[in-house]
Parts: sequence; structure tokens; C-alpha cells
Amino acid sequence: MVSVLLPLPVLIPLVGAGVALVLGRRPKAQRLVSLVSLTAVLATAVALLVLVDREGPSSLEVGRWPVGIGISLVADRLSVLMLTVSATVTLGVLVYAVGEGIIDGARGTPVSIFHPTYLVLTAGVSNAFLTGDLFNLYVGFEVLLAASYVLLTLGGTAARVRAGITYVVVSLISSFFFLVGIALVYATTGTLNMAQISVRMAEVPLEVQTVVHLVLLIAFGIKAAIFPLSAWLPDSYPTAAAPVTAVFAGLLTKVGVYAIIRTETLLFTDSSMRTVLLVAAVLTMVVGALGAVAQSDIKRLLSFTLVSHIGYMVFGIALGSQQGVAGALFYVAHHILIQTALFLVVGLVERRAGSTSLYRLGGLAATAPLLSLLFFVPAMNLGGIPPLSGFIGKASLLQAGVQDGGPLAWLGVGAGVLTSLLTLYAVAKVWNRAFWRPADEKPVVPGDTDVVDRLDRAGAHEPDVATAVTIGTPGAADRAAAGATITAAVTTPVADEGDASAPQEGPQPASRAMWGAALGLVSVTLALTVAAGPITRVAATAAENLTRPEVYVVAVLVTGEEQG
Amino acid sequence: MSANAVYLVLIAALFSTGVYLVLDRSLTRVLLGVLLISNGVNVLILAVSGPAGGPPIVGVTPFEDMSDPLPQALILTAIVITLGVASFFLALTYRSWVLDSREDVLDDDEDVRVATQQRLEDSDSDVYGQEGTG
Amino acid sequence: MIALVAAHLLAACVAPLLVRRLGRDALAVLGLVPAASLVWLLVQGPAERVERVTWMPEIHLDLVLRLDALSWLMAVVVCAIGTLVLVHTSRYLDRDHRGLQSLTGNLMAFTGVMLGLVLAENTLLLFVFWELTTIFSYLLIGEDSRRKASRRAAMQALVVTTAGGLAMLVGLVALGETGSYELSALVADPPSGRVVDVAVLLVVIGALSKSALFPLHFWLPAAMAAPTPISAFLHAAAMVKAGVYLVARLAPGFADVGLWRPVVISLGLTTLVLGAWRALRQTDLKLLLAFGTVSQLGFLVVLVGLGTREAMLAGLAMLLAHATFKAALFLVVGAVDHTTGTRDIRELGGLGRRKPVLLVVGATAAAGMAGLPPFAAFVGKEAAYEALLHPGVLSPLAAGVALAVTALGSGLTVAYSARFVWGAFGGRTPADAPADAPADHALSPVLLVPAAVLAAATLAIGLLIPLLDGPVVAYADLLPAGYEGTYELALWHGFSPALWLSLTVIALGLLAFVRRDAVGRFQERVGGHGDADLTYRRTMRGLDRLAGAVTAATQTGSLPRYLTVILLVVLVLPGAALAGAFRSWDVRAWDTPLQAVVAVGIIACAVAAVRIRQRLAAVVLVGVSGYGIGILFALHGAPDLALTQFLAESVTLVVFVLVLRRLPKTITQRHSTGRRLARMAVAIPVGLLMAGVAATAIGAGTQDSVSEEFPAGAYDFGGGANVVNVTLVDIRAWDTMLEVSVLVVAATGVASLVFIDRRTGTPQHSGHASAADAERGRRVRADRSESGSWLRGSEMLPRAERSVVLEVITRLLFHPIVLVSLYLLFAGHNAPGGGFAGGLVAGLALVLRYLAGGRYELGEAAPLDAGLLLGGGLVLAGGTGVLGLLGGADVLQTAIVEFAMPVYGDVKLVTSLFFDIGVYLIVVGLVLDVLRSLGAELDRKEAELQDDPSGARLQGVTS
Repeated sequence: MVSVLLPLPVLIPLVGAGVALVLGRRPKAQRLVSLVSLTAVLATAVALLVLVDREGPSSLEVGRWPVGIGISLVADRLSVLMLTVSATVTLGVLVYAVGEGIIDGARGTPVSIFHPTYLVLTAGVSNAFLTGDLFNLYVGFEVLLAASYVLLTLGGTAARVRAGITYVVVSLISSFFFLVGIALVYATTGTLNMAQISVRMAEVPLEVQTVVHLVLLIAFGIKAAIFPLSAWLPDSYPTAAAPVTAVFAGLLTKVGVYAIIRTETLLFTDSSMRTVLLVAAVLTMVVGALGAVAQSDIKRLLSFTLVSHIGYMVFGIALGSQQGVAGALFYVAHHILIQTALFLVVGLVERRAGSTSLYRLGGLAATAPLLSLLFFVPAMNLGGIPPLSGFIGKASLLQAGVQDGGPLAWLGVGAGVLTSLLTLYAVAKVWNRAFWRPADEKPVVPGDTDVVDRLDRAGAHEPDVATAVTIGTPGAADRAAAGATITAAVTTPVADEGDASAPQEGPQPASRAMWGAALGLVSVTLALTVAAGPITRVAATAAENLTRPEVYVVAVLVTGEEQG
Repeated sequence: MSANAVYLVLIAALFSTGVYLVLDRSLTRVLLGVLLISNGVNVLILAVSGPAGGPPIVGVTPFEDMSDPLPQALILTAIVITLGVASFFLALTYRSWVLDSREDVLDDDEDVRVATQQRLEDSDSDVYGQEGTG
Repeated sequence: MIALVAAHLLAACVAPLLVRRLGRDALAVLGLVPAASLVWLLVQGPAERVERVTWMPEIHLDLVLRLDALSWLMAVVVCAIGTLVLVHTSRYLDRDHRGLQSLTGNLMAFTGVMLGLVLAENTLLLFVFWELTTIFSYLLIGEDSRRKASRRAAMQALVVTTAGGLAMLVGLVALGETGSYELSALVADPPSGRVVDVAVLLVVIGALSKSALFPLHFWLPAAMAAPTPISAFLHAAAMVKAGVYLVARLAPGFADVGLWRPVVISLGLTTLVLGAWRALRQTDLKLLLAFGTVSQLGFLVVLVGLGTREAMLAGLAMLLAHATFKAALFLVVGAVDHTTGTRDIRELGGLGRRKPVLLVVGATAAAGMAGLPPFAAFVGKEAAYEALLHPGVLSPLAAGVALAVTALGSGLTVAYSARFVWGAFGGRTPADAPADAPADHALSPVLLVPAAVLAAATLAIGLLIPLLDGPVVAYADLLPAGYEGTYELALWHGFSPALWLSLTVIALGLLAFVRRDAVGRFQERVGGHGDADLTYRRTMRGLDRLAGAVTAATQTGSLPRYLTVILLVVLVLPGAALAGAFRSWDVRAWDTPLQAVVAVGIIACAVAAVRIRQRLAAVVLVGVSGYGIGILFALHGAPDLALTQFLAESVTLVVFVLVLRRLPKTITQRHSTGRRLARMAVAIPVGLLMAGVAATAIGAGTQDSVSEEFPAGAYDFGGGANVVNVTLVDIRAWDTMLEVSVLVVAATGVASLVFIDRRTGTPQHSGHASAADAERGRRVRADRSESGSWLRGSEMLPRAERSVVLEVITRLLFHPIVLVSLYLLFAGHNAPGGGFAGGLVAGLALVLRYLAGGRYELGEAAPLDAGLLLGGGLVLAGGTGVLGLLGGADVLQTAIVEFAMPVYGDVKLVTSLFFDIGVYLIVVGLVLDVLRSLGAELDRKEAELQDDPSGARLQGVTS
């Protein structure tokens, strides 16, 4: 049964993408295809979760090739947990995007581009979670990255193109190091099957292991946005269209985290990177949180908390104890959901108020009570207020840290609570300014008027240069002035399209679907608390399996042989 | 197993030149750098795949003389992926040129803003502290 | 008990709806919930009772509530005062009060979580409620969010108490891991060790921050921004008592641990005096009470934290006393504010005459605060003196100091109590305002009764203490007695030293009030009211600056810097590891000298590409080095690789050229020499590192590769002789399937960046060409006598851009090339070739047509939408997988069909061929998309611009 379900989370969206492309000129049909595909993926994921949680991990040899020759797909508790959460999020965001698309027409998310790409992204993510082959993991990464490049630059506004360039180049570099890592693994162990690597790596001289290990960790560390490899993230994510940012923030970094978990618990079973990871975790938490405090745009602020909270997961992984890993897993699930939910809500805020800058927003609590509630609850959750899910994950991590008792572990505990406080401070600042402060009250802005302009400009999304020139928006970038007149000529044909896809000034309506999606995801985060019992149990079992790599190895090598 | 010196030198050269170009601000050069690095990576994979041999085609080369086919498959995959991404990056370059009539990597405005504001505060104003908390 | 808490939270949820129906009366109605709870508690009595529901055992967070003497007392206080405050508030607020709904909801919710806090047995659950009280307090303080002061105060309270709370969390977790997560178990059998000492200290810090003890006291006076009744409840009676409660709760187990006593007592006493001292200077009645609260909280913490039976008796008595009289006084101030519209002593005057009832209530409560006999506070204080007179756990000296300070504090308390009464009611009505001035609103009894009840209570407790002290004694008995004999709470212990002390203190206090001007001058001179709030502001500004500085340093926004950082990490970490792993590499020069020759060429090109500034030249150089790599592949015995590399390089070159048409010929912008050297300093080590890493790994390679079984497998199961191709379309088909989807999205992306809002433009047939082009076409056909031309589409091109030679070649070569591509596709399984190679060749054929004949020719060559090719290919590739599943076999499992065909003979059809066809289609689709967008579409735009007059300006940019 499992072996039939295993490939579906990848195949369904891929074929779906194909169909969507064939239906290139029929938006309605495309929307239907995506919705059906992702619903099917979610159903499959849930089924897998139930089955695997009951019967334990199992694997499938693609094309019935003997283990190690072909590619194995593996479903253990970790992968199905990740799969389920990601499926939930992708579906939720899709609904939001469809809602937005129906209102904006081709503007925000051009259907014929968005839907196929989005489906491919989903396929890539699912594959990353399910594959048992290191090189195939690389391919999965490339799939979701390529898709994310396209989604990030959707609409091709100046800001997005610039962000896109940073994002693409950094991702490429990390992928190259990933490839190098794979080559080294193949050179030393002669296989790409992760279960076999786990067995064979033990025979490799330790110091060589360390080299290979570090190369892989850096590759994944960039994708997971661990300080100091994280600076690219806050510059790239916030510029994208709301639903895109939401799914990126929620999901993509976590795929990197997932890869790190596999590296630490399966590929290299001696916790030799403990110190490195603990230090990285502490730095990531604190520097990220400070970054959040320094921001004045909600999207960017959230992106920094995103980086910061990756630190929690790394902390748990670094501790390596069952409690620690369990905490990390729960936190991953929580953080995927909460970040996505928050970014969707902020999307609604942006549509209502026409900006996400704390220098422009105000008085929302009075004018938009429901929206305020929809922001406040997940915001407090992010701030680690109990009994919301964020606190549950943290509590587990703190316990793990205290159990460990080492100096670095205590340092981690300290950094953990400090980060929690800073995060709360940051989101409360958002609440005070954007929701409480009356809209008419003039914000205090340091410095002379010229800077005030700069601030305002940065606050509002810098409109497409082409827009700036054609409709003469005041907020045009300095450099727009340069070749402006010329550019205008060059891009006149593009201009109207270009600026249409740039985030609009002033309020826009939000459709029921968008509210539904945001509301839905927020309630899912609440469900995490209500159903915390079973969920923490699953996380604990998954962690228990991870602390004993042989569970995975047996599942692949033995069951694989039976099939082969 | 022994390493092929030529490959090693080549790896060093391609990575060095590639990295140097990637650190440039001109998009064209960045992409050229990426291409050089990707070639370097491919050579690296080739290097770890053991000694040269006959083409891995049954009937043409006896099994024992074949070059290792697996790394070749990996490299082929890598080549194709790079082709796709490179085309996309070129499209980005074009778009960036259309919008800004320049093809450089620009610094992020918001980051610049935060830094500027930082400098301002050090010179200025107790009020921010209060607004910061209110 | 869980039901009680749940009921409150439920009520909180329905509160807004209720308010919508009943307006402010809803508050009174909701008062029934705590009232009912109170009844239940009174019926239930302080008997031990535990309720347990498992929630998340993995992290020891379960719903465990426990009722005992202490929590019963606290719960009674919470419910009783909660009820009265709700009733009072229902008249205090105006009918059309802004945000009445949220306020009501928050107030109810607060009552619920406060109740939970005092009942919680599980320490993590305690923390849950603890933080929730903080949040609701935040929302209630900031209730009037239009005022910046409220927002600041709310944020301040949130930050300070959460900071303390988190410290406490760490402490509780540490205690839980070393001892137990259940309070009773923890106290019954306290763990020990250095960790525990620290943990206890952390918990105490948390408790003190919540109870506004020095030096974290400043948030409480600021919190007076909340509506007065709210302050009465949260910031006098209930929430601020949480810290006191926790100290009292832990004292039996931990009073002797580590720094407990020094910290608790010293901070407590300091707060006691500081608060009272500042209360004496306030002119705002509410602030006067607030500082009074700070002072009293300090006193309470000392008493319950001391860890002797007598002190605990005194502490709990004082706790009850304070809860009642302070709530009463706040409600009185609320009433005063409500009638006169001010709380400022300097503006008030003669109110006593105008509102005698209010005066009586206020005076009674104030007498309670002063601790005059026979009020509850009198009983409590006497017990306190008693406890300190018999040091027991303290050194005589410490006890003496404590006693003196307590006496001083109590004296000041008496003084500011008198000041309160005098300030609120005394003096004469200001001349300008005649008696019963119109300024006074009528005073609804609903406002007054709750205050009166509380005032009466504080008196009653004093009088009836022997009857009421059951639970107090019960809990205090858990602690060791400070001296022989059992002390009882009572009004009259005979002429004990404590009694004399009480009386003296009261006398001195009153004297201080009578001589208040002198005292005031003295205070002026002494000062002694350091502004902790300023410290807080400085800290927060410091934090904001630190954040800014760190961010400015790490988040430079510059891509080259980000990359440099990443590469430095690579150099440091694996670099160091490599140094450790270094061993003599066994290296062979080459497999064939030819490799060296080619390598030299490649390196030469690469280096040249780095130096040169002409874009096209640089691109070509890199391309050539790419071809060189292809040759190396061939030399290595990898024909498929070589083939693909050549084709891929060619296509990349084409795409480059298409884009470079639009860019300046040379790269103008330069880097300083310094920057260039820095880049080299990073680049070259990275290169060397990679080579070294490779060599090390190769040297360490001991195990034989799985790929040794490939050839046999490929032939027998894969049904193909070309092992690499079988690997791609069968053994590792899963890779390939995903990899082609990369191409699909890349193509989509290229299109989207050119056609912004749609996937792709329609193929441009010469049939419906733009007017200008069609005109040109007609002219061409006209002045050409011989029929037709080589390529139809090219007729649309301006004569200058046409090359007949190229057209001829194209016309001749196009179809052969397409045939070759098909051959590669089908032969691929057994000879070099396959879907990729085939597709790329076909793509190049299209390139040829486009270059020769322009965009219309492209339309002629490939009249269909690239999306169809890509989509179809993906469906085909993925479909074979799905079919495999449906066919009962596994994903992408190959089936081999052999059958005889008349002329041709035996045909061996491998299902994986369909897969390869999918790949082929996708590659073609990619190339087509690129040509359409970066080729044809750009041409179209440029043409449009040239056709319109403004086009002239363009030249500066594009060429």
C-alpha cells in the first residue's frame, strides 16, 4: 500500500503541471487542475502519515532496481510528517493565490505562469522529503529552487528582479557545494543511496569524513539560512508576491533544515559537528532576532524572525538527544505553519492598508478588528506565548538543553529565551504601531525630511521603474532618474504590464478565498496546540527513530531487497 | 585509488576563475563565473569517477574496461540543469537591463535604509527610543 | 476546577456578543461567572482536591489543578474582587466606551487565567497562565490605544514581566528536570545542587518582576494608564499578587536554598521603603495608591518569603488585608474620578462634604491601609513585628534591620494613607466651584457598593480573624515555627512589645502627616526617587541601537559581500578540516597526455575570460573552454557526455548572443585594484581547496562502487546497450523526470520575464504580420521576378538584414538536422545519443531557421505553442511512471515488448523510450521558448519602437 502511495506526492503535481501547461490558455481549467492535484497530494500525505505511524518506515525501489543501483523512495516518520505539513501549507497558499488571481486577473500572479510553476515547486519539495538517494535529493532541490526563481521574479518588477538575482546566485553557489559534497561521498563510499552511505561512511577515515560532512553542511546551511550564511534571505523573500513569500518563508528553508537533520542523524552518525552547530544556532537566533528588532517593514521583520527561529531547530538537532530532535521537529512543523499564516495575514493587511511599512500603517485595531485578531494570535504564537504551538516547541528544546547540561547547551538555552523575548518585542512593536497607534498620529522619524522620504519610499514597495516613469510615481528610485527617459521608451510596451504586477499603492479588495486561506492556516496553528498530545507523540517517535539510524537503514536495505 | 593531476589542476583553475568572476557586479560576468564553476564541478565529479576507459556501451567495450557510467549520468543531469538555469539568468539580466538600463547587482535599499537610520540615531534623537517602545 | 477556568474563558469568548446586545450592562451580567465560582469555592472549602488531565506528557505539560489552603485563599480573592470589579466597571465606563467589546472579553479572560494561575499544580501550566495574565494585562493597559502613554506603558509592562517570566521558565524547567514538574512534589522533596540554586534564583526573579519589586517596580505605576477599575483588579488585588503567591508557594521548600533569603528580603525591604517614600510625594491619587501597592508588595514578599510560620501567618493576613483595602481604594478613586473628572489632589477639594458616603467608604478603606486597629492590616502587622522580634532563621542583626525598616515603611504607610484621605476629601471646595458643583456627575450606587463591600471586608477580616484564619493557619503550619509556642493571629495579644511598636508607628505616621510640609521639604533635600523608568528607556534605546548596528554590519545588502562571507566560511571550516585530513595524495599525471594539452587550452580560455572586457569575446572564450571540457569527456570515455556538453554549450552561446544584442559591447563598470586583489585572495584559495578536497576524497575511496553492476543490469533489465542512457531513462529515471521539470520551469521563467503577464506569445505567422512588416514582405515579392524565396518568413525582414547564402543553407540543412535529432533520440538506447542530445539538436535546427529568417520564419518553422511541447513532454515522462503504477508494476518500471514486423524484422520496443520522447519534447520546448521570448519578442518590441517616431531615442540604449 505504502509503496503505491509513495511516488504520488511527486508524480501528481508533476503531471498536473504538465496538464496545466497544455491548458495554457484556459485559466479556469488550470486553477481546477492545481486545486485537485494539491488536494490529492494532501490526502496521500495524510494516508502515508497514518500508515507509516502505524507500521513504521518503509521504502520503494523505483523501477524495481536492486537497492543501491536504482533510486529508493523512503517514507519514515520524519518524511511523512514534513510531507503532511508542507502539503497543508501549499494547498492553503494555493487557495489564497487563486483568490488573489481571481481578483487581480493576470496582474499579481499570472495564472499560466504561476500554476504550472507552483505545482513543480510542490513536486520538488515532496521529492526532497521522500527520496532516499543523495543525488536525487540534489535534483529535488534544483526543482524547487528553479521553480522558486520563477515565482520570486513573477511580474519582473525592479525590486523583484534585484532580489531574484541575489537569490539565484546564492542558491547556485550552495547547489555547487552540494554537488561537490555528493562527489566526495561517492568517491569515499561508492554509493549514493543514503542508507548505504550511512553504513559505509563509518569505514571512512574520520578526518576525511569531517571534510565531506562540512561541505554538505555548508550547502544545506545556505539553503536553511543559518547565520552567517543567511543574509540573502531577508533581501529576497519579502519582495515577492504575498502568497509566494508566504510559501517560501514557510517551506523552503525547512527543506534545508530537513536535509541537515538527515545529514546529522543518518549520513554521519557520530555527532562530531555538535560544537559547530551549537555555536551556529546561538548566533542565528540572536543575530536574526536583533535584525527583526531593527526593521520597520512587517514583511522584512518577519523574514528576520524566520532566520532567527531556524536557530531553534538547529539547536535541537545539534543537541542530538531524542528530546532535542523531537523539539526541533515539532518546531519545524509549527514554524512552517505559523510563518505561512502570518505572511498571508500580512498580505491581507497590505491589501487593506496599501503598505506594510510601520511608518505608514496605523489604527488597524480600530478599523479592522477581525484582521487584527487574525494577526494578533499568530503573532503572539511566534513570540512564544504559551500555550500556543511556538511555546510547546521551545519548552521541549529548553528541556533538552537543560538535560544536556553542557556549557554550550546552557548558552543555547539562554539565547533561546532571549530570542523569544526579542521576537515578542518585535511583534508587539508591530502591534503598537500598525494596529494601536491612530493612523493620523505622525510617526516619530529620526533625521531630516530627506530621510523621511527615504523611509517612506522603503516602506511602500518601490514601484517598478517603468511605472515610475510612465505614471510618474513620486517614489521612484534614485537611479530610475538616470536612464529614466530612455528606459521609458524601451519599456513602454512592457510598462503597463510591469507596473500592474508591482504591489499597488492604496487599498485593494480581498476575496473570500483569501480570507478563508488565512483563517484556515491560523486555525491549523491553533489545532497544533489543541492536538499537541498526539503531535508531540509522533514527533517523539520520529525523533526516537532518528536517534537510531538502523531503523532507516533496515527499512531501506531489507525491505528493498525483498522487492528487488 | 590515485587522482589524475590534470583534473586536479583543472578543478583549481576553473573554481578560481569562476569564483573571481562571480564576485563581480556585472551580471554577464557573474553568469560566466557560474558557468566556469559548474564546469569545475563536473570535472570534479569526473575526477572522482576513477580512471578513463572505453565508452560504457555493451558490445563496444568489455565490462572491465568501461569508464564508470554513474558519474557520467550525474554530470549529464548537472549539465542540463545548468543550461536551464543559465537561460533563466540571462532572461533576468535582460529584464534588469530593461528596467534600470544597467546590468549590475545593486545593493538592497531596505538594508541601506536601516544602516542609514542607524547612523542617524547615533547622532540624533532620544525620541526613537520612546517610539521604539510605544 | 478546570470547569471554573473553562467557564471564564468561554464567557470571554461570548462577551463581545453579549456587549453587542446589552451594552455595558453585559459586564455586570458576566460578573455572575466569577460570583458562581466564588460560591462553589466557599461551599467546597479549602479541602485538598486535585484534577488531572494529560495533555502533552512528552514535555510534562499536563492540565493538573490542585486546590489547597493557599490556592483556595487566592482563588477566593480573585473571584470575589473579580465580581465586584466587573459590577463596578459596568457603570464606570460610559455607554459608548470605545472598544468596550474587546475590553470586556479581555477582562473576563484575565479573570479566568488568573484563577488558573493560582490553581495550577503543574509548573509549566503555571507558566502558561502566568504569561497569559501578562498578555491580557498588556491589552488592558493599552486599552486606550490612542494615547501614546498607554501604548508605552503596555509595552513596558509586557517587556519587563515577560523578561522575568522567561527567566522563571528556565528556572522551572531546570527544577522540573532535576526534581519534578509538580509544585507539591517539588516543595515536598526539593532537589539540590548548584543548578537548583540558580534555578530557584531565576524563578524568584520572575516572581519579583511580576510583583513589581525593586529594581523592576517602575512598570506598575506606568500601568496606571489602564482604566481605574482594571488597575484595581490587575495591578492591586490580583495579578501583581502572582509573584507573592509563587514565593509563598515555594517558601516551604526553598526558603533555605542558596540566595533565596538574602535576595527576597533585601529587595523586599528596599521596595517597601522606596514605594512608600514615593507614594508620599504623589499628587495623583491613583499614582499614590500605585506606589503604595509597590511598597506593600515588597512587604508581602518579605513576609511570605522569610520562611517561618509566624511570618507566613502575617504575610497571608496582610495579603488578604491588602487585596481588600487596596481594591476598595482604587474603586473609590474610580468613583472620585467619575464624579469630579479629576484625580489630582491639587484640583480636588471639599469632596467629602459633597459626597459624604464616598468619604466614609474611602476613610474606612484608608484606615485599613494605615493598619489602624481593628483592621485586618493591624492584625497582620502585629504578627509581622512578632515574627521579626523572634528572628529564628535570621541573624539577630539582620532581624533588627528588617524590623526597623518594616517599622519605617509602616510609618510612611500611615502617613500617605492620611494624605490620601485628606487629598481626596479634605480641604474646602475651591472658591470658583460652589458646593455640589455641576462638574460632579451623580454617583450611581453601582459604583459605590463594591467599594463599600470591600472596605467592610477589610474591617470584618480584622474583627473576625480568629474565625477566618483556618486556611491561613493551615498553610502556615507547613513552615517551621520561628520560636517556641504557637502564635495565633488575633486582635489582642495583651500588651506585647509588638503592640507598643504598632502604636508608636501609627503615632509617628500621623505626626509625619501633620508636619507634612516639613516632611515634604525633607524629601526635597533627600531626593531618593531615582528614575528607574529612565533606565528602562535607556536600555530599550540601547537595544534598538545594538540591533541597528548588528544588522547594519551583517546585512549589507551587497551580493558580492554575501558570497564572500559564504566562501570564507567554506575556506575556514572544510579548509581547517582538510589540513587535519591531509595525507600524501597518490597522484598520477594523466590517463593520456592529450588531457594535459586540452587542459592547458581550457585554462588559457578561462583566464583570458577573466581579464577581457568585451562581453561577446568573454562569452565565446568561456564557450570554448566548455567545448574543451567536452573533449575531455570524450577522452575519458564518455561519448554521451561529450555530445551533450557540445550541444549544451552551443545552445547557451546562442541564448547569450540573443541577450547580449541588447547590452553594451563592453563592461564599463570597473572595480578598484584593492577589490580585485581581495577577490583573488578569496578565489584562488577556494580553487586550491576544492582540488585538495577532491584529491583527499579520492585517496580515501576504499569501497567499490555500486555502478559496477550497471552494465550487466542495463543490458538485461534495461534492455539497452548504452549504459549511460539506460541509467538516465531507467535506472535513475526518477532523477531525469525531475530534471526535465527544471527545464520546464526555466523555460516558463524565461517567457514570464519577457511576456510579464502570460506564458508565451502566439507564434508569429507571416499570415498576420504587423502592417509595416507585411508591407515590406509585399515589396520583396514584387521586386523579385523569380517565384518565391528560400524562406517565406524571411520576406518580412528588411533587405539589409537578409543573407541569401544563410537562407539557402538553412533551407537545405533544416530537415536533415531534424532527422539526425530523431535518430539520436531513437538510437540513444544502444548508441550515444538519447532524448537530451536529440532535443538539443532539434533545438539548434530551430535556431538556424530563426537566425536566417527572423521571427516570422520561426513562426513558420514551429507553428505551435511551446507550452504544449513542455506540458506534453512532462505528461509523457511522468505518465509512464503513473502507468507503471496502474499496470501493477512499480513506478517507472520498464517493460520490453518484442514483436516481428514484416519488412523490418524484429523490433525491440522498450517502454522507457516513451520516457525519452518526453525528454526530447521538453528540450525542444525549452529552446523554442527561449527563441520566442528572447529572440522573436524582443525583435517585435524593437520593431514597434522603430516604427514609432520616438524610436530614435532608442539607439543610445540597445546598441
